[in-house]
Order: sequence, then structure tokens, then C-alpha cells
Amino acid sequence: MSQHTIGNSNYNSQQLYDADETIPVGFTVNGTHHTLQLTAATTLLDALREYMHLTGTKKGCDHGQCGACTVLLNGKRVNACLILAVTKDGADITTIEGIATADMLHPLQAAFIEHDAFQCGYCTPGQICSALGMLQEGRANTAEEIRELMSGNLCRCGAYTNIVDAILQYKNGGGRD
Amino acid sequence: MIPTAFDYQKASTVDEAIAALTDGDVKILAGGHSLLPALKLRLNQPSKLVNIAGIEELKGIKEEDGEIVIGAATTYHDIVKNDIIKSKLSFFSDSASRIGDVQVRNHGTIGGSLAHADPSADWTALVLAADAAIEVKGKNGKRRIKATEFFTGLFSTALEEGEIITAVRIPSPAEGTKTAYQKFPQPASRFAMVGCAVLRKPDGVTNIAFTGVSDNAFRDAAAEQAVAGKPLDDATIEAAANAAAEGVSILSDHYAAADYRKHLAKVYLKKVLHAVA
Amino acid sequence: MQTTFTGKPVNRVDGPVKVTGRAQYAAEFSTGQTLHGVIISSTVARGRITGIDESAAMQVKGVVTIFSHKNIPTLAWLNFSYWDLAAPPGKHFRYFQTDEIYFSQQPVAIVIAETFEIARHAAALVHITYETLPAETDVYASLHKARKPKGSRIGIKKPKSRGNFSKAFAASAVTVKAEYRHGAEHHNPMETMASTVIYQDGGKLVIYDKTQGVFNSQQYIRGIFNLKFKNIKVVSPYVGGAFGVALRPQYQLFAAVLAALQLKRSVKISLTRQQMFSLGHRPAIVQQLALGASADGLLQAISHTAIQETSRFEDYVQAVVNWSGMLYNCAHVQMDYKLVPLDINSPADMRAPGAASGVFALECAMDELAYQLSIDPLQLRLINYAEKDGVSGKAYSSKALKACYLQGADKFGWQQRNPLPRSVKKGNKLVGMGMATGIWDALSIPVRAKAVLNAQGKLTVTSATADIGTGTYTIMSQIAAETLGLPLDDVTFQLGDTDFPLAFVQGGSYTAASVGAAVQKVCLEIKQDVFKLAKRIKNSPFKQCSLNDVVFSDGYIQLAGNRSTSLSLASVMQQSKTDRLKNTATALPNALQQMRYALNTHSAVFVEVEVDEDFGTIKVTRVVSAVAAGRILNPKTARSQVMGGVVWGISMALQEESVTDHHYGRYINHSFAEYHIPVNADISNIEIIFVEEQDDIVNPLGVKGVGEIGVVGVAAAVVNAIYHATGKRIRQLPVTLDKLL
Repeated sequence: MSQHTIGNSNYNSQQLYDADETIPVGFTVNGTHHTLQLTAATTLLDALREYMHLTGTKKGCDHGQCGACTVLLNGKRVNACLILAVTKDGADITTIEGIATADMLHPLQAAFIEHDAFQCGYCTPGQICSALGMLQEGRANTAEEIRELMSGNLCRCGAYTNIVDAILQYKNGGGRD
Repeated sequence: MIPTAFDYQKASTVDEAIAALTDGDVKILAGGHSLLPALKLRLNQPSKLVNIAGIEELKGIKEEDGEIVIGAATTYHDIVKNDIIKSKLSFFSDSASRIGDVQVRNHGTIGGSLAHADPSADWTALVLAADAAIEVKGKNGKRRIKATEFFTGLFSTALEEGEIITAVRIPSPAEGTKTAYQKFPQPASRFAMVGCAVLRKPDGVTNIAFTGVSDNAFRDAAAEQAVAGKPLDDATIEAAANAAAEGVSILSDHYAAADYRKHLAKVYLKKVLHAVA
Repeated sequence: MQTTFTGKPVNRVDGPVKVTGRAQYAAEFSTGQTLHGVIISSTVARGRITGIDESAAMQVKGVVTIFSHKNIPTLAWLNFSYWDLAAPPGKHFRYFQTDEIYFSQQPVAIVIAETFEIARHAAALVHITYETLPAETDVYASLHKARKPKGSRIGIKKPKSRGNFSKAFAASAVTVKAEYRHGAEHHNPMETMASTVIYQDGGKLVIYDKTQGVFNSQQYIRGIFNLKFKNIKVVSPYVGGAFGVALRPQYQLFAAVLAALQLKRSVKISLTRQQMFSLGHRPAIVQQLALGASADGLLQAISHTAIQETSRFEDYVQAVVNWSGMLYNCAHVQMDYKLVPLDINSPADMRAPGAASGVFALECAMDELAYQLSIDPLQLRLINYAEKDGVSGKAYSSKALKACYLQGADKFGWQQRNPLPRSVKKGNKLVGMGMATGIWDALSIPVRAKAVLNAQGKLTVTSATADIGTGTYTIMSQIAAETLGLPLDDVTFQLGDTDFPLAFVQGGSYTAASVGAAVQKVCLEIKQDVFKLAKRIKNSPFKQCSLNDVVFSDGYIQLAGNRSTSLSLASVMQQSKTDRLKNTATALPNALQQMRYALNTHSAVFVEVEVDEDFGTIKVTRVVSAVAAGRILNPKTARSQVMGGVVWGISMALQEESVTDHHYGRYINHSFAEYHIPVNADISNIEIIFVEEQDDIVNPLGVKGVGEIGVVGVAAAVVNAIYHATGKRIRQLPVTLDKLL
């Protein structure tokens, strides 16, 4: 595992924030351990996007209502906007940036492309992380179950049926049609 | 819209958490799924958050002294998966699997939801129907608050300053007890527009609780009376439905006017009574 | 036509960056010490700011400054400076320049700080006091104040009545008169509005903006802040949905530029989800329809009146009633369109603006008429089928609507439908089937594109258009690869940058046709250029050939009669020692040819619903949408576009509404927990059929565009299906639970 420390970046809020002090927090993101100094008010979502520049995780509502910020926390899917980063000391986090390898897409990502399971692409990282979390939950055996279990992720472009098709294809072997 | 600035403390024991509750501005944080939205809407502006999610003694589900004990920091997900709950309080696991979406269930905790006392939360009706006691602890030690005395109004509870919820204690249901929970979800958030929980004991004593209908979840004595000890035939169920949700002030919003909510309450009571008949 | 790429279900070329999180949206560009801004919104709908107390907020370490009407510099004076390409007529709003409040959530102050957390913390500490005046926000309560729109808007025709409606209506054997309503809806793309303004040495601004047209943002900023075009570069490679909300420059752009110029620092501002409800919206509309027909179903008279809300400062107009003059063969048509100014922000174009509303009312009224006549709703449409546009009297360049009706009905199983309402039950649920027609424009606008072929035979094409999820990147790459006979991987299409050739805003479903024509044209120029080079090189096999004698295929120029005689484009470039070939072209719509025809897309939508009367729940179980939109460049992405439109139509029918508390004049359901849009579980079986039209008139590609047609008519088909299921005619959208009980 590699180590990465965010201590003296311009975004270190320690010198800037007078709402008392910042707090050290360390967690692993996509296999790399990061140490950050954050205020208590910083959400995991903002920590990823603004302090670690991992902008693949999206902010759609900031209230846990749209699922665009879904990441895998210790293997389970959660809304990063409803989690204070400092409460996740020692956690293992996977974001959309950690799904593919350097030269190959994850087969679920490939299935999303094949089935045109997105249009604008903004909800897509959350949909993919959520789908991976769902599949680890060991359910999602039918299209109807997938529709229900993926209902925490809004898609305003309306790609829902394609999303279900992509997940089903991946689940049933992962290969292309 | 956003959390204001606050201090943060991570507690590793319950006593440490209680010691940190120095004044009313200090809030307890477990899963954060009730508190963070409230912070972001500035419904709450605490000076300090105390994180209890890491306190082991607040987690997990066990059976002791004729009671099922659910630690306050147990997540919905853990409740859904638990074998004791599945076999003895199946309406807890059924309903927990339908709260919000999976992202919420993986991180939200039962204690957090009860302390928040949202008028449309599912847990409130469930603990009421289950005859649960809410175990709380403060500087002067532990006490139990009956669920029927715990919810005192819109987002308000009988918790006193300096107290935290440590567990939910439910009398182990006798063999042959039947339970059911049904809700009409608000279409966007999936909170209960109307939710009805029922627990029917082998002797026919029946607990009926509603959420989403009024400022706080409540036990419906008139409906309970109508079915107590009687066989659950169509006429009895109809009588209970007629008696239900009368004499309470009914919530009204743009999703459901009061008379529509009342209609749903009666329809859902019938549904759950048929389920335990 | 034999093609390699166009017409093929090619995967989105921007797919890999989108599924890996590498696609960067407007708030995701940062360099060095970018400041963060948080905008404070008015809590009253009408009145005046009496005081802004910034003292507590300014004491927070890390707060840089707070802007409001109290301290912003003098900006442009003329109304025209605040105009933009999508602006309706009126006095365009000047954000942060007045103490007066015109609508709820009007932006009133900007807090700029070193971090996002500090800015939002400080924003909570700014204390603003207002003098509150009573606000009018209820269009239904103010119908008596309706008046004709003032001024005009490019592309929006005034409705033109014909014949004598009153007389024909009075003489009609069967009539329907009904009023239809729907409330306000907000676009709510998943990405909120955002602008990141990078302040460079010398005052040059590089602006990452969420926009449907980079030049629109550029000219807006230039006019207001009196800057030079060359000092404003606007970039917008990816847009997280827009649906019309990013046509006009929004106030976070203004605020971020203001702060960057004043502070000489880079600034980033995103709106919150709640603030997305302060932007333009699909306006609430009341529509009165009157239809008269002979006993055999021939339409004798149509009257369509719409009364729509607008703001106090602009007359937002859209084509609501016009479609009633086009869709059916009828001699006597009366149309009227009026506005009611209210204390709200100006409405804005939202997916199929005007048509989504107007066709909903017309197609519900047609359904009501069908039942009055005891004629099958589909049959009634066929009886009154219009071969010509009744408003202009022109023939259609192409119109395969009849085929849409028939193929759609066949796929859906319309023939098996029991015509009686409340006649079909499945378990304890009532089942109903309904249908409706859709129509939209097939527009083209002038666009420029540039192409560069490099020494390796790889092509880059650029145009300043947008891809808001519509598939622009993909179809333009297909057109370029097709035209020059290149492998798709050897083509790169770039967009969303004011350094690229001019393209106006993406909207109105005209991008595929207009940008496509420019891309095709510039690639044809490059084709000629590279062929000239090929003829000139030593021992060229094409010395005696003309362009007609060769084929461009798979990166090679090949002799048509003998494909093994060939030269790769790369070798032509290298042998002729040409580093790069570049060309720029402007595609102009053939106005003379187009003026003689009516240019439209059409659709036929069939919907099945299941209604649970105990709970008043409605589920759309099946949709078939048959669409005639000229040639389809990419059936995969086009299908997604239409499917998205269908989801929008279902949402409009059953879920969406921005509900106003008229006491406070504000939207009360301004979050995703309260503003209901479909989730995955709400959407199941949607089938899309494309009925292709050969159309050499509409534009050189024969393309009509599919961005809006998918939504038009869907809401009517759902409402008509609910009537068929329940016998209850609901005339107000959304059809929610309580209305059915």
C-alpha cells in the first residue's frame, strides 16, 4: 500500500479555519493511505472532492437524497455527503477512481458503456459504486429487485432501464452481448 | 443549508460521551443520517459533536433477561441481518429493509432515528408496537423510558439534557406472537406518509401504532380496544379501521391532505391486521 | 445508403471518461489557491433589503469579502448588456445591483472565503433584514390579470388563428370544453449550476462554466463587465445535465466573475440543490380547450387558450397553443396566448418548452372527444390526419406520423384494447391504455466547425457546441469518420470552448442537424484538400483521377474500381511533407428551400397504467413511443434521448411539481426528498421505435433531432390511460394519489 500525506497543500484548512482546530484523520482511498487535517464540519464528500481532488464522486444534493456521492465504505455503499470525514479514521474507502485498473475498465463499467446506461454522466460514478455495493450484498436477482435496490441513485437523464440492463449483463457473466 | 463550525470529539465509552455533553449545544453523532441533514438545514447548530459510532457497548443485538436488546448505534443494515430479530421481531427486519435506500440503511442507526423523532420515521411506530423501553444514560446513571412516553411531539422526545440513548429493550415476544408493519412511502424520500405497526399476542392483546399521521408516532387505543381478544374477522377489522386515527390532530402537507392521510391510516390498519390474522 | 458509422449504434465515445470519473465538470477544475463562494438567497419573495450585517461573518478567519448591492462596482448601464441568446423580451435581471426583491431566493449576497467550509459557515452568520411586501405568486388566482405578451423572441411565432371558430363550434354535432392545468416544474439536472473562474496574470479569465453554450456565457460576461472577448475564455467540456436550465447564463457565473475581477483571484461557486429552485422553470399554465366535431369525427373547430405565469421583469414566451393549429386538419382554429406577471423569477425553456404543456392539453381534449364520439382515440387521430401544416399551409418536408401511429399501435397491442373505461382488472388493480400524439420542430441554425488532419492521418474536429448528455461527441465523431472514411478511433471531436469555431447554444433539438452539417461540410473540404495532395505526390496512382473515382475507407484513399490501389491518408500527408491540413467551414441552413416546407418531428405514444384504487397509486407499466425524426445518426444514443424524454413525460404526468406556499411566495418542496422525480423503481418497460424518414429538404444529413420529441404527448397518454382505467378524468398535473380517490 502506498502512502500519501496531504499536509501542506493549499487546501489544508488548519491555518485558515478559526472554528477551533482541525483534526487529523487517516483513511485508505483506493488502496492508498491518506492523512489529512480537516475541520469537523468537512464531509467525506468534500474531503474527497476539494481536499484530495478525487472529483469522480459527485455532489448532487448534499443531503443524502440523490446518491450521486455513493462510495464504498468498508465495502458497503454509503452517501459520502452525510458522513463527516473525521468520523472515518482508519476506514477503507473505494471511489469510482478505484474501480478500473490503469489499462482496463471494470466489466461493469464496460457494460454501462455498452448499454448506454448514462447520458450526462454525472450520476454515473454513484450508480456504478452503488451497483457494486448492491451486488456484494448478495441480492439483486431479478430486474425488479435491481430497480428497487438501485432506487437510492437518481438519474435525471432517465437512463434507468439501461442501467438495469447493464447490471444484469454484468451479473450474468460480465461479457458483452 | 450547511453545517456551521463546531468542535468534534470521538468517545470510546458511554461515560466519556456523557461527560462530553456539557451543555445543550452538544449533539450526539452516530450514523449522522438524521443529524447531518438537520445541520445542513441549520435546524441544529451545535457547538460540538460527540461521535459515539465507535463505542462497542452501543452496538449489537442480544437477548437477556427476557428482553431483546438492540444497541443504540446498531445500523439498520445490522438489524435487517440479525437472526434474533428475524425470528422474533420479524416486523423490525422487514421494515428496516424498506427504510430510505440502501445507502441510508448501511449507515443510519436506530438510536439516531429515535432521538431525532421525525414524525414520519418508521422506527417510532415499531418500538411503540413492540412495547419497547428506551434505555438512556446520563450523569445520574441509567433509566428506562417507555416508548409510549418517549415521543412527546414534533422532533421532540423525553430525553433530558445530558442523556444519550444506549439501547432499545423489547420484551421477548411470547411464542405465537405475530407482527406486521406496512407503510405508504412518501414517493420521493420513502419516509412513511402513513405507517402502521401491529404486534398481536397469542391471547389476542394487540398493540397498534401509527407513524406519519400526527406530530409524533402514537399508540391507537381505540383501534386496539376494537380488536383486543377478538378473532380478526372482517367485521372486527372493519370496526378497528373505523375507530382508528380518530381524535388526533392529523398532519397535512402538499403530498397528502389530512383527510387523505386519515383514509390511508384506516386502509393500512386493515392491511396489517389482515397480515396478522 | 451504405454507411460505416452513421446510422450505427456506436457506443458513446465519451463513455470511458464518464464511467471512470475522469470527466471533469464545471466545479471540478482548480488551480492553486481557488477561493470559494457561497451565495445567500433572499428569504422573502417581494420587498426590499433594509440591512445587511456582515460583521460577525467578516470576523471569521479566512473570509475574504462579502459582496452585495451595498458594495459592488458600477457595471453596464444598458439593458442590452444583460441580454443573452436565450433571453426573453423584457428588462433583464441585474443580480446583486438592487436592494429590491423580485422573487423568493433571489441571490442577495456572495460570501467569498479561503475554503468552502469557511464560506458556508460565514454565510450563516450574515444577518439580512427585509421590508416585506405582499407577493403574488398564484397564477390561478390572477387569471383576470392576463395580458398579451410584449415584445417577441427569436424562434417563437405568435399563434395565428384561422376561419371562424365560434360559428363552426356552434354548428358542431359533438363538442368538448375543458380546462387543463399544470404547475411549475424545475429542471433539476443532477449537477447543480457551477462556475470556476481562473484569474490569470493580466486579468485574463478562464471560466469553467456549466452552460449549454460557451459563447453565450462569454458575451454575457463581456457586456456586463466591459471586458475584451480575447480576455474571456469559457470552457465547458462536460455538462451534468441541463434540459434548458443552462441555456441562459445563471447568477453563479456572474457572482464568480465579479469576485474574481474584484479580488484578482480564482473563484469557484456552485449552487445548492435548494438554489436550483431559484432559477428559471417550466411555468405554471392554465389552458382552455374547446373542440367541435361532426358526428363522424371530423374536427370542425378548435380553440386553445393558454394563460401562463411570467416574472415582473421579463415576458417569457414559448409556443404553447401553436401546435393546435398544426396537428390536425381543421378549418376553424382559434388560438390565444396570454401572460400573468407574478413575483417569481422568469420562467425558462425546459425540455420541449411549450409543446410539453400545449400538446398535453390538446391531446387530452382529443381523448375526451373520442369518448364523446364513441370513436377509438387512435382512429380519431387518423380521421383528422393533417397532410399539411394548417398554420402556414405548407407541405411537410417529411411526415411519417401515420406510420408511427400504426407501428406503435401494433407493437403495443392497441387493437386488443377494450374501449370501455373501467373494463379491465388485474388482481385488485384497474388497467388502462391511453395514447397521444407528439410534435416538435426540426430546426437548423448556422454553425462553424474546424478540422485538422495531422501527419499520422488522424483528424481533430472542433466546434464550440455542447454535449449535455445528448451524444454530441459521439455523433459528430461518427459523421467525421464517415465523411473522411477514417476509423472512429482516428477521429477526435472537441467542443465547449470559446477558442473553437462559433456554435450557438445547444437546445431545441437542432444540434445534431446544425453542428452535424458543419462537421460534414468541413470534412468534405478536408477530403478535397487531401485528395489534391494525393494527386500531386510522386508516382501517385490517382494522377488522372477525380474525387468521384476514389473511395475513402478505413484511413485509405482507394481506387473505386480497384480497391487494392490505395494510399493511406497518413502516407499522403507524409509523402507530400504536409504537417497538417486544416480547414474551417460554416454550414448555413438552406433558407430558401426550407421556407417552402414545414419542418417537424412527430411521435405516437402508447401507455398502459395500473391503478390501485385503495391507495390511489398509479404505475406506468408499459410505454411504446414511435418516433419519426428523419434519419437517426446513432440508434443507441437516440433511443436513450427518447427514453429520457418518456421518463420526463411520466414524471410530468404523475410526479413533478414545484409547490408554492403563496403566503410566503416560495417553493416549499425545494429538495429531492420533496420534489419527486422518478427513481429506478418507478420506471420499467419502455420501447422506442424509430420510423425513419428520408428527408433531403430538412438539411444535408436528413436529420431532425430527438432531444425534445420524446417528452411531448407522454403526459397526455398517461392521463388518457388513467381515464381508461378508472373512468376518472383528471385535468391537473401531476395526477397525484388524492386526486384519484
